[in-house]
Amino acid sequence: MTQGATSRTTFECNDVDRLLEPYLDGEFGDDDRASLEAHLSACAGCREGAASAMAFRSALRARLREAFATGAAHATAPDSLRRRISAALDAEAERPAAWWRRILSPLPVAAMAACVAGALVVFAGHRATDPLVEEAVRKHARDLPLELSTASIAPEVIPGMLASKLDFNPKPPAFRGDGVKLVGARLAQLRDWPAAYMRYETPRGGRLGLFIIDDPNRRVADEGHAVRAGAETIWVMNMRGYNVAVWRRNEIVYSLVSDLDEADLVRLVETAQSVER
Amino acid sequence: MSSSRAIESTRREFEALALPHLDGLYAAALRLTKNPGDAEDLVQDAVLRAFRFFDKFERGTNIKAWLYKILTNTFINRYRRTTKERNIVEDERDSVQDRLVSRDAADVAEDPERAFFDRLLSDDVLRAIDSIPVDFRLAVILADLQDFSYKEIADILDVPVGTVMSRLFRGRRLLQKQLAEYAASSGVLHAGGDDGSIRDGSIHLDAWKRKHGIS
Repeated sequence: MTQGATSRTTFECNDVDRLLEPYLDGEFGDDDRASLEAHLSACAGCREGAASAMAFRSALRARLREAFATGAAHATAPDSLRRRISAALDAEAERPAAWWRRILSPLPVAAMAACVAGALVVFAGHRATDPLVEEAVRKHARDLPLELSTASIAPEVIPGMLASKLDFNPKPPAFRGDGVKLVGARLAQLRDWPAAYMRYETPRGGRLGLFIIDDPNRRVADEGHAVRAGAETIWVMNMRGYNVAVWRRNEIVYSLVSDLDEADLVRLVETAQSVER
Repeated sequence: MSSSRAIESTRREFEALALPHLDGLYAAALRLTKNPGDAEDLVQDAVLRAFRFFDKFERGTNIKAWLYKILTNTFINRYRRTTKERNIVEDERDSVQDRLVSRDAADVAEDPERAFFDRLLSDDVLRAIDSIPVDFRLAVILADLQDFSYKEIADILDVPVGTVMSRLFRGRRLLQKQLAEYAASSGVLHAGGDDGSIRDGSIHLDAWKRKHGIS
């Protein structure tokens, strides 16, 4: 029942049913709104439908608002909850992790590195329990064959090749110093999560496995002990003899499984942090 | 130690921004968990998480959307698994029936007795919200109670805007259907007389049965 030629999008009656709600919710831009209104003014059937949808919608919203009016028990956080939250925030300030994160943050990186060595005594041997970390360690230890090897492919093109197979960009950290060298990479899976896996070697024959996953919903728990590196927090833990560093950059989580000792591991991760800051 | 003052000031800033949303968060949590104890746990967990990640919150951006995103994620990750909610996939098979029934519900809404809405109790509205599948419920709560835009809801739920649109569409239809059923079964709405009660299927059938003493 769209009549006449118009340069705008024209809506068919079939579309109107589904589009009425976003229209009434104020989600349409000017053009779409004008097109829909043009259709409504030309089509009695749809106009009637729109009027009834509008009536229902405003009645529904009015009822919802009434039901959730200020002061209603089911719309008011109980005092018990407010007290619990206040107590939880008190306790939060006492947590060691919070002390690390908040107190160490103003310290320069060099001072941090000095602290780390001392901190090892206090926190030594924090065992990991996160299933993702567990899986990362297991996969790294199994020495899976690399699909992309720097023996035949330039290291700089590897991230792009991985990115084309994943729906996120697994930008690797730029480790500097200590002669850490990328050996190769492959696609991997941590639990159900697609991951990029990159393997590095140190001059002394150490082997490092870096898993990069996309975690917009923050499913990876903060675990281990927190070490502050610049603006970032690195979580360090131990599992099956491997030291693992986990850190986050926006939605991307990096898990570096290593046979380095903890201080060297943290220092290595810090080199990448300071380069990218 | 000056750092304890820093902690204190962070906390004050957090409380000033987050606590005004506590009522809304609790109301939403209660509709999600359907249980005051779980709702309190959920809100407490979410607020604590928000506090821990507060350094990641970009000052000046939408704190309300940020808090609801954390609440939603916490719910999905922790509580949903245990509350055995029916999921969307399961409910898709009802969609044809929803469409048919929703036409009846629309008739009800157009009825001269449209004012039946005014005679429903708050409890009916809560019951109706609680009755719809959780994904639709979330969309309705965020749009109709918390006034988020489709784009904000899409960000909160991590789904495309098109998905928000269809969840909202289905959610409101289901809500409409429920409310019409309550109205019919509470006798506020007469069952249309004549043979309408049978012809119309599920909405009026209960009323018709009751009228004829069949339970």
